[in-house]
Formats: sequence, C-alpha cells, structure tokens
Amino acid sequence: MIKVGHLSKSFAGTTVLADISTEIKKGEVIAIIGPSGTGKSTFLRCLNLLEQPSGGTIEIDGMDILDKKADIAKIRQKMNMVFQSFNLFSHLSVLDNLTLAPIRLKGMSTQDAQAKALELLRLVGLAEKADSYPDELSGGQKQRVAIARCLAMEPEIILFDEPTSALDPTMISEVLSVIRRLAKDGMTMAIVTHEMDFAKDVSNRVLYMDEGLIYEEGSPAQIFDNPQKEKTKAFINRIRSYHCRIGSPDYDLYAMNAEIEAFCEKQVLPKKTRDNLLLLVEELLQIYTPYLPAMAFEMTIAYSEKSGHLTLMCESAGGPFNPLDSGGLPDDFGLMIIKKLTESITYQFVDGKNRLELLMQKGPKNSPHLE
Amino acid sequence: MDFKTKNEAGTLIVSVGGRLDTVTAPEYEKQIRALIDGGNSRFVVDFARLDYISSAGLRGLLVMAKLLNAKDGKVCFANVNGNVRSVFEMSGFNDLFKIENSVSEALATLA
Ligand SMILES: Nc1ncnc2c1ncn2[C@@H]1O[C@H](COP(=O)(O)OP(=O)(O)OP(=O)(O)O)[C@@H](O)[C@H]1O
Ligand SMILES: [Mg+2]
Repeated sequence: MIKVGHLSKSFAGTTVLADISTEIKKGEVIAIIGPSGTGKSTFLRCLNLLEQPSGGTIEIDGMDILDKKADIAKIRQKMNMVFQSFNLFSHLSVLDNLTLAPIRLKGMSTQDAQAKALELLRLVGLAEKADSYPDELSGGQKQRVAIARCLAMEPEIILFDEPTSALDPTMISEVLSVIRRLAKDGMTMAIVTHEMDFAKDVSNRVLYMDEGLIYEEGSPAQIFDNPQKEKTKAFINRIRSYHCRIGSPDYDLYAMNAEIEAFCEKQVLPKKTRDNLLLLVEELLQIYTPYLPAMAFEMTIAYSEKSGHLTLMCESAGGPFNPLDSGGLPDDFGLMIIKKLTESITYQFVDGKNRLELLMQKGPKNSPHLE
Repeated sequence: MDFKTKNEAGTLIVSVGGRLDTVTAPEYEKQIRALIDGGNSRFVVDFARLDYISSAGLRGLLVMAKLLNAKDGKVCFANVNGNVRSVFEMSGFNDLFKIENSVSEALATLA
C-alpha cells in the first residue's frame, strides 16, 4: 500500500533521515520506536508531506506522491495523522470538529456528515460529548475526539505520532484501547510511541529507528525479546531497567523512590515486589553512604520479563572493596534485611570496577526466626 | 513521618505514621529523646499507622530502648503489621522487644 524508497531528509545541512526504505501493507500495524531525536516524527511528517523529503520516493497504491502534480489534500485524506497535541479547533464543538473536513473536502451533506460523526463518537465512547467544546474535555477525551475526527475522513492508513505522550498517566489507557480496537478492526496504522508494552502487543511489525535509518525491524517478539543489533539491544535494555548515579551522601531518597515506583509501574510489578525493592535500595544506600562521595556508584535495576526476576547492580570505581563485607555500620540489621530480600549476592572486581549484583527473591523468604 | 502522643495513666502512647526511614529516623529519635529527658519512662509505640520501616527506623527504636534501659524505663510495641512486621521478622528485631497485638494489650503488659 505504501512503499518508501531511499527516503532522506536534511534540515539546513543536518541529515535527520539518511536512507529509509520500507513497505507498509494493508492491515498492518507498524510500531515505530527509537531514542529521542532519531527522526521518527520527521519520518511520519514526510509520509504525510508535512515535510518535503530531500530525496527518495514515496508511493501510495503505486502513485508517486512526491510528483509535483500530486494532490496533497487527497493524499492527506488517504493518510491521516493524529498528533500528540490533539490539534482540535477550539472554537468548534466536538461535532463540528468532526464534520468540517468531510463537508468541505469530501463534499458530504451536513446531515450525512453529522450522522457519520455521531457514529464515530460512539465508537470512541464520546457520543454524549458531541455538543461540548474541546476545552471542556479531558486530555484523553480530546485525543479520542481527534481519532474520531481522523476516522471521519475515512483514511486508508492512520499515522499516530505519540498519541499518548501529552496525557496524564490515568488517561493513557482509554486512548490506547481505542487504537487497539482500530487494530482489531483491521485499520492500517503506523504508530510512533514510547509505550513499549502497547507497541509490543498491538503491532505486527516494529521498526527501530536510529542513525537516520530503520536500524532494525522485525516482529514484536524479535525486537523486544531478541534484538540482534547493538543499539537496539541497548535501547531495549534501557527501557527494561532503571539507572541512577549516587555521588553524594545527600542523595534524595524520596525522588529516587518516586522514580523506582514509576519503573515498577511500567513493568507492572506487584505492590509487594515494589515495597521490597524500595527497602532493598534504601538498605544498600545506607551501606554505601559512609563511603560517599569517595566511592560514588551507579545503580541499575533490571527486570527480566522472561524469568520474572529483578536484579540490582551497583558499580563503583576504586580499589577492590565490597561494602557488604566492610562492617561500616553499627549493627547487622541492614545486612540481614538485604540477605532476606535476595536469592543471591555476588561481588566481583572486574575491569577496575567493584560490581555488586543482587538477585531479588521472587517471593518473601520465610524468616527462620518464626520457625 | 508523623508523630502523636497521648498519656494514658502514666504511660505515653506514641503513634507513628508514614515512613520511618533514613530521612525520618533522626526526627523520631529527637522527639523520643525529648520525651525521655522530660521524665517519661513508660512507652507504648503504636505502629498501626506506619507504612514503611527500614533498618534506619529500627536503629531509632533501638536507641529509644537503650535510653529507657538507662533510666529503668519500659517500652512495648503494638500493631506491628504488614510491611513493618516483615521487616521486624527479617531483621530478627521481634526477638528483641516486647510486642503485643493492640495498644490495650501493650498497656496491660506494662501495668
Ligand atoms: N523543522 C525542523 N527544522 C530543523 N530541525 C528539525 C526540524 N524538525 C526536526 N528537526 C530535527 O530533526 C531531528 C529529529 O527530530 P524528530 O522530531 O523527527 O525526532 P523524534 O525521533 O520524533 O524524537 P522524539 O522521540 O523526541 O519525538 C532533531 O534533531 C530535530 O531537532
Ligand atoms: Mg517525535
């Protein structure tokens, strides 16, 4: 349906897209992921001709859309886009937002356009908001209206550019479920998203963009569970882990806790696991604190979906030194808690670094004191 | 952490809420020290409202027990449940202290 060949785009001499070739077939749902600034939005904007590509070809159903004579309005009807920031007309009611383009661009009668609009609003669960104005809606509702407005043009493919990243966390799922529903109904879509779980379960194919290229592509299982190339692996690992550096004894425990809680939420970990993880982190911090700032360390928490295990790694420079053996604390309470919370603790001195690796217990260990 | 006290026939009931951790344990110690310096020697610590405790919090409780020992005072804990209970168990802390299920039982033990 869409064929992209050697597409490139530069802004004032800076190459953003170097050489992009791919094909999107009818009914496919493509997730586009990658680090910030790698040209994901630029790619979608080129497809939709919101940006003029610097080179290459884009064909829709065999028609070259970069041809000077191509009808841009027509192309945008076929390939409609939903933006992060909704882009609704604030002076128009929800219903008028949906009927405007079909009446003006498709020559639909007002009556038909309104009937169609109401049907689409029902599809996204917002029929009762037809007469409201965008400012009276929540972010999630605005984005659902934006999706309905896009559907009103009966596009053959919808391009989504981070449709949920401007939303409060509580509103993300209502928008994602509308997109899931469209996927189920066979809508062809290309979705740029940072919601990795969503990308994984909604798409048939994942494009990982980096270095101005489609650096790696494959099925969701291939890209998320078994990436082959170095940068893809690093990216996937990063989203599966939490990383921070502790350089001073005045670290902000509560700010760290909030970040770790957000990480746990993303990985959908049970509350008990989260509580144990927060406790383990605090106990480790206390053990390291007497040696800060001399022994600044990097902490990485990683979750393996396959094994269900959480691992916590602390790395610090300096001579060989295992803080757990150091006896730097007045008592053993912290160490006892750490041991109870973990299945194994390994200390290694590798490449000039002290590496402490703790594998967390999946379930709480029974306390021998109770038996 | 929030810290409330109530006097019940010469025994001070201390109710701690929120978190007793690296950040808040010094404040707990400070408040307890002031109360003991002020002549209180019998305490019930009620953990019903406490959501989280770490070894730093345990250390605060230990300091309290030591101060009281030096003055022939007594302390009993009540409502040690949930997360707090598991930390007590993990650290072997529940072998070191008198713990009762409720404030009234704790008061009875001290009486
Ligand atoms: N109109 C423009 N003029 C100049 N530079 C631009 C323009 N649009 C984008 N860029 C640059 O192109 C690069 C890629 O931007 P783009 O928005 O496509 O990245 P992205 O992958 O969508 O990132 P993010 O995940 O943060 O949305 C960035 O370095 C950006 O500064
Ligand atoms: Mg973008």
